Amino acid sequence: MLNIEHLTKTYGDKKAVDDLTLEIRPGEIFGFIGHNGAGKSTTLKSVAGILQFDQGTIRIGGKNILTEPVACKKELAYIPDNPDLYEFMSGIKYLNFIGDIFGIPAAQRQERIRKYADLFELTGDLGQPISAYSHGMKQKLALISAWIHDPKLIVMDEPFVGLDPKASHLLKEMMREHCDRGGAIFFSTHVLEVAEKLCDKVAIIKQGKLVKVGTMEEVKGDASLEAVFLELEAE
Amino acid sequence: MLKVLLKKQVAEVFKGYFFDAKKNRMRSKASIAAYFILFFVLMVGMLGGMFTVLALSLCGGLTQAGVGWLYFLLMGGLAILLGAFGSVFNTYAGLYLAKDNDLLLSLPIPVRTIMTARLLNVYLLGTMYASTVLLPTLIVYWIVAGATVSNVLCGILFFLIVTLIILLLSCVLGWVVARISLKLKNKSYITVLISLAIFGVYYFFSFKSNMLIRDMVNNAVLYGEKIKGASYGLYLFGRIGEGDWTATGIFLAVTLLLCLLVWRAMSRSFLRIATSSGSAGKVRYVEKRAKERSAIGALRAKEFSRFTSSATYMLNCGLGVLFLPAAGVLLLVKGRELFAVLDQALSGMPGSPAVLACALLCMLLAMIIVATPSVSLEGKSIWIPQSLPVEPKTVLRAKLSVQLILSCLPMLFAALCAAIVLPASAELRLLVVVTALACAVFSSVFDLFIGMKMPVLTWTNEITPIKQSGAIAIALFGGWGFAILLGGLYLLVGYKLGAVIYLLLWTILLAAASLWMLHWLDTKGSRSFAAL
Repeated sequence: MLNIEHLTKTYGDKKAVDDLTLEIRPGEIFGFIGHNGAGKSTTLKSVAGILQFDQGTIRIGGKNILTEPVACKKELAYIPDNPDLYEFMSGIKYLNFIGDIFGIPAAQRQERIRKYADLFELTGDLGQPISAYSHGMKQKLALISAWIHDPKLIVMDEPFVGLDPKASHLLKEMMREHCDRGGAIFFSTHVLEVAEKLCDKVAIIKQGKLVKVGTMEEVKGDASLEAVFLELEAE
Repeated sequence: MLKVLLKKQVAEVFKGYFFDAKKNRMRSKASIAAYFILFFVLMVGMLGGMFTVLALSLCGGLTQAGVGWLYFLLMGGLAILLGAFGSVFNTYAGLYLAKDNDLLLSLPIPVRTIMTARLLNVYLLGTMYASTVLLPTLIVYWIVAGATVSNVLCGILFFLIVTLIILLLSCVLGWVVARISLKLKNKSYITVLISLAIFGVYYFFSFKSNMLIRDMVNNAVLYGEKIKGASYGLYLFGRIGEGDWTATGIFLAVTLLLCLLVWRAMSRSFLRIATSSGSAGKVRYVEKRAKERSAIGALRAKEFSRFTSSATYMLNCGLGVLFLPAAGVLLLVKGRELFAVLDQALSGMPGSPAVLACALLCMLLAMIIVATPSVSLEGKSIWIPQSLPVEPKTVLRAKLSVQLILSCLPMLFAALCAAIVLPASAELRLLVVVTALACAVFSSVFDLFIGMKMPVLTWTNEITPIKQSGAIAIALFGGWGFAILLGGLYLLVGYKLGAVIYLLLWTILLAAASLWMLHWLDTKGSRSFAAL
């Protein structure tokens, strides 16, 4: 589903991501962890086609993000760490905008909006301007906008930040369900307990370099993910 | 603390002059100097020049008639109108809508310091506009009437008093706008309507200004006595510039007292308004079947939504949309007379009315610059178009199409109106329409081109990309400069070619330039957008 090979991105003299190679298969929830500034967001943005990188290749469903960006983006949804949405639109206008861009037929779109907005208890607020939304509501709207076009790959940067416990629980269920249907999820998080319970595979990045990757069992063994992470950070 | 906050705000206003957002680095010293020279030339050369001419036409007659105070009253009033009108929405947006209000309020900074910094920013902006009237007013007076210690010192205090009055009016009106905004739905449209009403009054008097000035100078003593009798305060206000220390003292004291009162009133409500999300009723969501659009249609609709959601955006970048049809109607009514006079006056240059009609329409067209801030207005939401499955050139074309729609349709109407009443051959009339449309296309492409060349994505208040960026100054003043060039060049040398060939050459040139810029937007511009 997603192949990252030798990805390198430099800001000035600093290598934000250094020769990173990862593979995410259909059905996998892939957690990406690392300290602040380790290169997680840079990697996720590169995968989403937002950031231009210096070296390496990124393939989504076999297509190269550099040479076929539009085809790749049709297959994915990206949610940034801070959901800066179009504040001048209402929630429903934003969702319809996304629906139009992805060419979702009206009836199907309506059904999906109803389903996910009801799940996140946002239906009553869809007529409100996004500028009146709280951070959590914006995050919910961003999640709905990602799910309504049924992407194969969902890339999320800290998706649980700002969500209430009920919405967090719901998101975890939706992530599992998405991958059970053959999709894949690549997300970053600082909440290691969530990563430990939710992820099929995990990668730890430190100063732009991949330091550990594998299934959850391979990475943590008998220890907790937190213990492994802190140990790697201390090295 | 205040200095730090003020520095932050001024840096934000002039950020585009120092920092190249596209290359993510500081501009070279030469570029910075060039930007500031350009800004200076546009402000001083164009606005200042216009008001210097006005000051020269008024000053001599009024001072000779012994009513120099009337000169200061008129010019001071004009400065107040210009400065306060330009700052009302700045005050509202700058004081109450700044995106960093929450951040600053959470820091250990006294609320009054935040408010003072914001107000100083409003003061500086109002003073900048007012200076283009006040400086010529004072300098012309000192030259014509002679400079004395009293009138120079009082003149400087006149400058201070007028700029403080502008600040006062901006604050009061801004506060009223803020209070209304908390209650209203569709506030952007209502704000635009109110502003247009003010514009209407302003332009009515501007239109009549020549007649009014002539009348004023001819009957200066009579009007002077009437104003003095009806409102002694206005007489005293004008007397400040003439060096009357009593009038200066009274006005300075009253202005400072009013400043204090307004300050106290505003500081009581600042926190409540700045942190309020409005009390307009919640919009109930009723599920409706969505209308399906193509990707470019959706992007275009999004751009229209952006434009109509902000009164500041509509007023600063879209006024020409209304002015062009209004000019068209005016031409239908008065055009025949006007063009006949022009034709007679410029009989040695046949076809002049046609070229000047084009230039006039271009002048109004320059007030449609919707595309220029559209890239910068993406701001922190830039990740959305960048992560969606659309080509960057499609995003840019959607932005362009909005301005094309908003400029070509009114331009077509106005040009057709002009063509109907022009005393010209059929081919020249047709060419007027074609050239006007070529100008509309060129200006749309140019406005997006310049917006793409100088994007500012890191703003905390939408006023920055809409009103204060270098790209906006170039688009607006460049548009006016182009209109002057189009008309002026014909009167200088172009008439030798004849109007048909002259307009045809311009049309070809504009079409070629538009195509080149379109190609740039599709290639380099799109790559730059993807990399923003």
